[in-house]
Amino acid sequence: MRASAATLAALALVAAGCGHSSASKQRTILIAVDAPFSRSPYIGNTIANGGRLASDQLTLRGITTGGATYRVRILQLDNALSPSRAVANVRRALREHATAILTDGTGVDAAWRLADKQHVPVCIAYQGGSKLVNPENRPNVFRIAPTDHGLAFRLAEYLVPKRLKIALLTDDSDYGQAGRDALDDAFRTVPKAVAARITLPASASDLAPQVLEARRSGATALLVWARPAVLGKTIAATRSAGWHVPVYSTPAAEDPVVRQQLADHPSWVDGLTFASGRMTAELGPAPWSTFEASYETAFGATSVGVKSHGRRVIAPPDYAMYSYDFVNLLAAAVQSASGTDPAKVLSALNQVTTRGANGDERGFNERNHEGVVDDDVYFARFRDMVFRPVGDDPLSSTLPEISQVR
Amino acid sequence: MSRIGVLSVFVVLLAAACGSEKKSEEGKAEKECGAAPAAMAGQPTLPAKFPTPDMVTYTAEKKTGPSTIVSGYREGELAEAFDDYKSAFSSAGYVTKDEKEEDDAEVNFSGGSSTGQVKMIQSCKDRTTLSITIRPQ
Repeated sequence: MRASAATLAALALVAAGCGHSSASKQRTILIAVDAPFSRSPYIGNTIANGGRLASDQLTLRGITTGGATYRVRILQLDNALSPSRAVANVRRALREHATAILTDGTGVDAAWRLADKQHVPVCIAYQGGSKLVNPENRPNVFRIAPTDHGLAFRLAEYLVPKRLKIALLTDDSDYGQAGRDALDDAFRTVPKAVAARITLPASASDLAPQVLEARRSGATALLVWARPAVLGKTIAATRSAGWHVPVYSTPAAEDPVVRQQLADHPSWVDGLTFASGRMTAELGPAPWSTFEASYETAFGATSVGVKSHGRRVIAPPDYAMYSYDFVNLLAAAVQSASGTDPAKVLSALNQVTTRGANGDERGFNERNHEGVVDDDVYFARFRDMVFRPVGDDPLSSTLPEISQVR
Repeated sequence: MSRIGVLSVFVVLLAAACGSEKKSEEGKAEKECGAAPAAMAGQPTLPAKFPTPDMVTYTAEKKTGPSTIVSGYREGELAEAFDDYKSAFSSAGYVTKDEKEEDDAEVNFSGGSSTGQVKMIQSCKDRTTLSITIRPQ
């Protein structure tokens, strides 16, 4: 009996081995996430978690193409908002044969060429600078995030009809300077709406002089395009001076850092209005809610560190859906290319489309590498430490409120 | 996943299923069309080589800050309007990115020193409403 059992076991092993022919060879799609984990953890973790959620789902579902089965792996690399570190990270990603690089946008101006030499796609999932993406000059650079052009024009379209005199405040970071260029474009034909253009030194501990300059210019609104900490300092300088001017901003306003900085004065956050990419699509909130629930199950809700009416405030994973969508697009490209040959995958990225986390169609083409269109920029306003779509913009007024307390 | 976790996901999904922007649009494509809106006096200011497919009527034009919004309609169904705009933009040398769903569609364009979007909604059986946003580049 013992011998028969052994024979049966051996046969079973042989049979199992037959199943592992070349048709089920295990391979890896490696995606390097180059993001500012140490300097802007909210942005870094949002991008990485979105990518990781998609990679886990894809690996579980299985990607089989070209006679191999692929799992997706995320390699996390901290650029600390430093272009030189971003370049070093891209070099490492290429050494490790990454299939693609996901980034917040830091250092792309220097790093894209390295990746392009090996036909490796780079996808920006946060920064919107218009010069970062150009399919003709940078064929391997893609973006799924609102563009600065879209944010600036939508802000101008929203604010100018209100007959405000706007002080445009931009910080001296790459982010702020790209914003300044975009605002210059958007307000070029409506110069009377601009009361002042002021640069905010990101390293200054007190921005009272710049706020005073804006006030003396006769501004009736501030449009602040700056990193979150600088935005928080600007609001603090404005409100502590007793100036109740309306403040408008970019997606930086959503960063928990802003609310954490102003946690001792919650009323200072009230009324802060910002432009960002819509979370839900025309299909309604169901796809977004499914995505958000999966995200929270996998990583937990991102706590902002403040409360609203006694309840814990969380940050919705809106930017995470962009990295999530890119990883799904990349998987579709690998499938279409029957493998991870870089040139074939890069070419396929111009052809494939997928249904994004919010139900919207995501995809690129040879002449357009932008995944988020300008008209998908909406406006939200803070009250009691959470934000809701505004009612005085045609698109925003149709969007549902996304719960931000747990 | 804990029971509470499963329950939370279920509640979120249920809540999501209850509200849908799309639902308010449902059924519009089956409605008979009323009288067509009046055409605007003159022609709107459009970018260079901006295409106007056949059967398009412009009804209004307004400035919104730096941008212009032109309203209008096209006689016929959404799918025809969508295909017409796509092909007309292509012939005019514009770069496009588009998306079409059951009752609405968008063609985003770049060209003629401008960017923007043609948004199309099938507002009734034989008419597709157009909203064209034009942003200077």
